[in-house]
Amino acid sequence: MLIDVSGLLFYLLAGLAMASALSVVLVSNPIYSALSLALTMLSVSGLFFHLEAYFLAGVQLIVYAGAVVILFVMVLMLFDLKEEKKAFSGGLISFMFKVILAGLFLGVVSSVIGWTFKGTPTPRQALQDGTAQTKELAIRLFSEHLISFELTGVLLLVVLVGAIVLAKAKGGTHAR
Amino acid sequence: MLANLAIATQNVGLPQYLTLGAILFVVGLIGVLVRRNTLVILMSIELMLNAVNVIMVAFSRFSGTLDGQINVFFVMAIAASEAAIGLALAVSIFRQFKGINIRFFENLKG
Amino acid sequence: MGADQFEIAVNLLKLIVIFLAMVQLVPILVWAERRGSAFIQNRLGPNRVGPLGLLQLLADAIKFIFKEQFIPANAKPFLFKAAPVIALVPAALAFAAIPLSTPVEVSTFELFGRAWGPYVFEIQTVHMNVGIIYILGVSSLGAYGLLTAGWASGNKYSLLGALRACAQMVSYELALGLSIVGALILYGTFSLNEMVQLQEGPLAFAWFGKQVTVGWLPNWGIIFQPLGAVLFLTAAFAESNRLPFDLPEAEGELVAGFHTEYGGFKMLLFFMGEYGHMLVSSALFVIFFLGGYGIPFLTQDTVFQSLLNNGFSPTVSSLLTSLVFLISFLMKVFFFLWFFIWVRWTLPRFRYDKLMDLGWKTMLPWGLMNLFVTAIAVYVMNRG
Repeated sequence: MLIDVSGLLFYLLAGLAMASALSVVLVSNPIYSALSLALTMLSVSGLFFHLEAYFLAGVQLIVYAGAVVILFVMVLMLFDLKEEKKAFSGGLISFMFKVILAGLFLGVVSSVIGWTFKGTPTPRQALQDGTAQTKELAIRLFSEHLISFELTGVLLLVVLVGAIVLAKAKGGTHAR
Repeated sequence: MLANLAIATQNVGLPQYLTLGAILFVVGLIGVLVRRNTLVILMSIELMLNAVNVIMVAFSRFSGTLDGQINVFFVMAIAASEAAIGLALAVSIFRQFKGINIRFFENLKG
Repeated sequence: MGADQFEIAVNLLKLIVIFLAMVQLVPILVWAERRGSAFIQNRLGPNRVGPLGLLQLLADAIKFIFKEQFIPANAKPFLFKAAPVIALVPAALAFAAIPLSTPVEVSTFELFGRAWGPYVFEIQTVHMNVGIIYILGVSSLGAYGLLTAGWASGNKYSLLGALRACAQMVSYELALGLSIVGALILYGTFSLNEMVQLQEGPLAFAWFGKQVTVGWLPNWGIIFQPLGAVLFLTAAFAESNRLPFDLPEAEGELVAGFHTEYGGFKMLLFFMGEYGHMLVSSALFVIFFLGGYGIPFLTQDTVFQSLLNNGFSPTVSSLLTSLVFLISFLMKVFFFLWFFIWVRWTLPRFRYDKLMDLGWKTMLPWGLMNLFVTAIAVYVMNRG
């Protein structure tokens, strides 16, 4: 009759992730939304650590929590928005309608999950330790998925040029 | 009550992770449907992509293969680039309309 | 009493002790900064309170604690109070994964009629196999403290300073990560402990297929990756917002940047975060490029054996070995902390656009070139 600490950790991280995800969607001030998104990314990274995907957990911290969300927060702070009077589109009825639809979708998915997995708990297969896993990941990335990898590189270059072109002010950085 | 807690924590397996992923996905979906601020809609899309990442890594862990993790790698790269473009678009919209409310895009003209 | 509870107790103790050690280093660093800057500027620093002014920081700490804690009228209260904590936590988290010394092996001994089994105490809070990825990820969270502080102050100058600081931090994180990749190719592992182990002994490398050993040089990373070391040091300066990269908190331009509205204890927490970042960067530089806690020409086994031969029990000689290597690590780290302080009071400040140009247009290409040359060299030298 012992509480399994690793299971408890999962529930804590999952609770934190769900609470901050709800906070992203429901809070009016968009900067609080962005900071809650950062907290969600952190808890998802914790979940990756729990799932023994150590390299991906670190990459999630570096890329998502440490760059993408910071970009969101910086852009929001630059805009200096006054509080919108209506943060939600439509009235209460439209809001409830959308929530109920989404809830129905969630219900369908959860019942499928519950029906598939009822009965015996799933056994865990063995996995290699952290460094061997990263090596394996790298080998497969560069051999089987080489084309996807190179195309992702090209995509990132296109995005870099595109973002600069879209956001540039007329006349360059010292324009009035 | 404590016995139930003990049993619950000892049985954390694949269905718990999948349910968590589904809940995060649906919360992101609600965010896209309900909010008016363009940037909050983009943030909800990031939330949905993260939920999918969690599901893929959970499957990868419980089947002992690494395919899920490779997929997550690509999803992260693409999500980051999509966030960058979305932010650049939001900046140019702000310059034009002095606001980033989604009602500015309801008409196709302009 | 199970083994689990013992592990939890040991980990909790290590967490608290190492965190407190990091926090206690801040007064020493501030003292070194004030006396050191005074020495460089040809004046005396604080020398009234205590011998050599050493108790000055105690007086300052007492002053900070008793100051009135105020919140400006335009500020958002919760975020204003939370920002210094958000700035301190990433530095503490990063310091947790750094190996400070060799592990202490306690062999079986008898006490209170029970045999207490063999146990290995590692002198680091958390032993991570993906140590460097974790540290890079957690250091990048430091930007949240800056942003929250700048925005929650309700002050346009703070916001500007915070945005500039954050843009600088994000740009130089890229250079930081890239400068390390060359060293990672050489070591072949992410774990910081293994990197230190690999740097033991004399210089040994492959030269077109043959193994070459140079007896009079240590096997340190800086000999293999000089360019990477320079890039890492520069990026580390920019990451902790120290001069010559400290435009975001430039006195005289933005008052004090993102921490303008902070005074008293909250300001102390910001300082702890900044010095914590400096400490983590120095420790990382020492681990990657200067052999970590190792001493040149002395391996861990040699010291352990010589202590055993002098008649100490295995437990005590393991403890003393650990102490010796801890002192060696601390000496190297203190040298680099002094280097941070020395550079701060010697070089002028970068202009902001030149700072960003340096990060993107100079360090990124050099880092990539370092990576290419290292990868090609490793391939060619191993094949012969």
